[in-house]
Amino acid sequence: MQPSTTRIGLRAVVTAALAALALMLGGTAAQAAPALRAPAAVAHADLAGKKFTIATDTTFAPFEFRDTKSGDLIGIDMDVLRAIAKDQGFEVDIQSLGFQAALSAVTSGQADGVIAGMSITDERKAIFDFSEPYFDSGVQMAIAASDDAVKGYEDLKGKTVVAKSGSEGLAEAQKLAPKYGFTVKALDQSATMYESVKNKTAVAVFDDYPVLAYGIAQGNGLKVVTDKIPGGQYGFAVAKGKNGELLAAFNDGLAKLKSSGEYQKILDKYLADPKSASSGNIFKLAADSWPALSKGLWNTVSITVVAFVIALVLGLIFGFMKVANSRIVRGIATVYVGIFRGTPILVWAFLFYFGLPQITGVPGNIFLAGVATLALNSGAYLTEIVRGGLQSVDPGQMEAARSLGLGWGKSMQRVVVPQAVKISTPAIINQLVITLKDSSLLLTIGFAELLYQAQQIYAANFRTTEMLIIVGVIYLVVITLLTWLANTVDKRVNK
Amino acid sequence: MSVASESTPNAGPVTASAGIEVSGLRKSFGSNEVLKGIDLSVAPGEVVSLIGPSGSGKSTILRCLNRLEDPTSGTVRVAGFDLTDPKVDINQVRRHVGMVFQHFNLFPNMSVVENVMLAPVETKKRSKEDARKQALALLERVGLADKAEARPSSLSGGQKQRVAIARALAMEPAIMLFDEATSALDPEMVGEVLQVIRELATSGITMVLVTHEMGFAREVCDRVVFMADGVVCEQGEPEAVFGNPQTPRLQEFLSKVL
Repeated sequence: MQPSTTRIGLRAVVTAALAALALMLGGTAAQAAPALRAPAAVAHADLAGKKFTIATDTTFAPFEFRDTKSGDLIGIDMDVLRAIAKDQGFEVDIQSLGFQAALSAVTSGQADGVIAGMSITDERKAIFDFSEPYFDSGVQMAIAASDDAVKGYEDLKGKTVVAKSGSEGLAEAQKLAPKYGFTVKALDQSATMYESVKNKTAVAVFDDYPVLAYGIAQGNGLKVVTDKIPGGQYGFAVAKGKNGELLAAFNDGLAKLKSSGEYQKILDKYLADPKSASSGNIFKLAADSWPALSKGLWNTVSITVVAFVIALVLGLIFGFMKVANSRIVRGIATVYVGIFRGTPILVWAFLFYFGLPQITGVPGNIFLAGVATLALNSGAYLTEIVRGGLQSVDPGQMEAARSLGLGWGKSMQRVVVPQAVKISTPAIINQLVITLKDSSLLLTIGFAELLYQAQQIYAANFRTTEMLIIVGVIYLVVITLLTWLANTVDKRVNK
Repeated sequence: MSVASESTPNAGPVTASAGIEVSGLRKSFGSNEVLKGIDLSVAPGEVVSLIGPSGSGKSTILRCLNRLEDPTSGTVRVAGFDLTDPKVDINQVRRHVGMVFQHFNLFPNMSVVENVMLAPVETKKRSKEDARKQALALLERVGLADKAEARPSSLSGGQKQRVAIARALAMEPAIMLFDEATSALDPEMVGEVLQVIRELATSGITMVLVTHEMGFAREVCDRVVFMADGVVCEQGEPEAVFGNPQTPRLQEFLSKVL
């Protein structure tokens, strides 16, 4: 097999990006990995009481993902690792870093081992020592559960199938395509692929069989009609030449798990007859997801509020600069607005979070990077709102105040600004709403805001549409409340 | 007596003089020269009206007298201050020079009485109680004591302009400038505003009025200055200017407006 392709593609790229930031942060609300300990019940002579740091991916259901309710990391990898640790009498500190970062953590010595649905490949063998394979993977085809027309590959003629970019599933589909006469389209996420099969944009999906089996069990609306195509094997890995006793203990424990039947129980738990991570209707799903979503909502609201307060200050400063007499002062404000209004928010999010730490050598802080991104962007729009407000006040007002002997500052403070604020308030409230919605873009740098949390959840339970409806409703409610609050304050203040 | 007789040019107010001395005043907006060398003296207590066709520069002169417009060249001395001296504290000067605008320019974010109190409280550090007492007295004087707590937006044009006059008077200025104070008013409201100005004219305050009310200018003013095309064309006592105009320009103007 060419398993190195199994885990490449967008997921890997995104994972890598997330991992990089997780490392830099050392654990944000989103990434904070709870230290999970397996109690040492049966002491192993060599490793008893020892504690190992094991790196893993963020979300790769059913191997590792967060329990919707408890937020704990669960999955085949996690259960196997903990059972072995218990059997061998050592403790594990599991770090959920993302796939690429987990590998880096092991090679750089920050973690002792990695278990992350990782295919055993020759390339990787040059860098890692692998355990005995603990899972036989492979690719399988799935079709919509309601589809009775497709019974096998031969029924795909003239149809379109989807597979994940860069994955083994894609490679297998492309191998079969000429023979059976179907078209292969590459997509980036499992959830997206399943949705496109359900909504009939594609007739079938080729994906890693455990991921597929888990998704089907979670009610992703698909079914399988063909056998799996045997493929790669997953292994636990340590850095080459290091932690040999850990590797030996893993192999020993794995053998015992297999012989005792506990191994099969774990597989069955997630693949054959998994307890659905989230069952029931959309209201039950919302209730089950609430712990994670409320954390995301808190992050969304708090970063919006902090960023918007700073943006207001920026808007006031630069807004006044825009109406200044000095051409230079006006020029500075114009350049500021030009830069931040003329560039996408995402560019600044990446720059502040990934770029700046590389230039300064200071590790990035995701909250601060997010605040800077939103505040500077929103500040640029508020600058124009403030300028517009000031300029929309009749110049006669300033003249009247000045003619009474009030200075420029006093005239601004007592006469022009109060009127400008009143004129600008609706636009400022509008900008607040925009900032709150824009904060969702910070999920791209891994900030655990509301939409990010929803993505984490539907990556595990595949109830994409329902999760999006739930967060959509939450955004709507929050923004409605916020607008109502702002309007109430507006009426009180700007009578 | 005129301020021009004072010796040191930058000495500030030597007396509580309420005179105005303008000489060689030029003002251009871009390439458009609006004032082409104005010489004009106003004695303390004198009431002078500026008349003339629109675009002749009347309002611009007025606005140069409290430096809402910066003169391009020439000297402007007002209440003993040299306004063309860059070191002059213009806010100080303006506290002696009240101005009433065509469009009233009341502050809509304040009540009527707050409009009148604002400048004394902010610039004279007067207590709010004192300022309010004074403001109410001034509103009484212009016949609007009952509107003290009203919002400017609820007033008629005539009422607004009377509040604006009270607001300017609150600074107890030595000089009052009226820039077409009745031009934006409905005809039936002109009378009430003119009545207030008329009353003011007899109080001894120096006044310069830009006006289109020829009858009023004739009745109230000590002197009438006729301007055309950025220069003072003719001036004199109202009876002379209106009764016996010397220049063809003034004769033509009067034949149109009278």
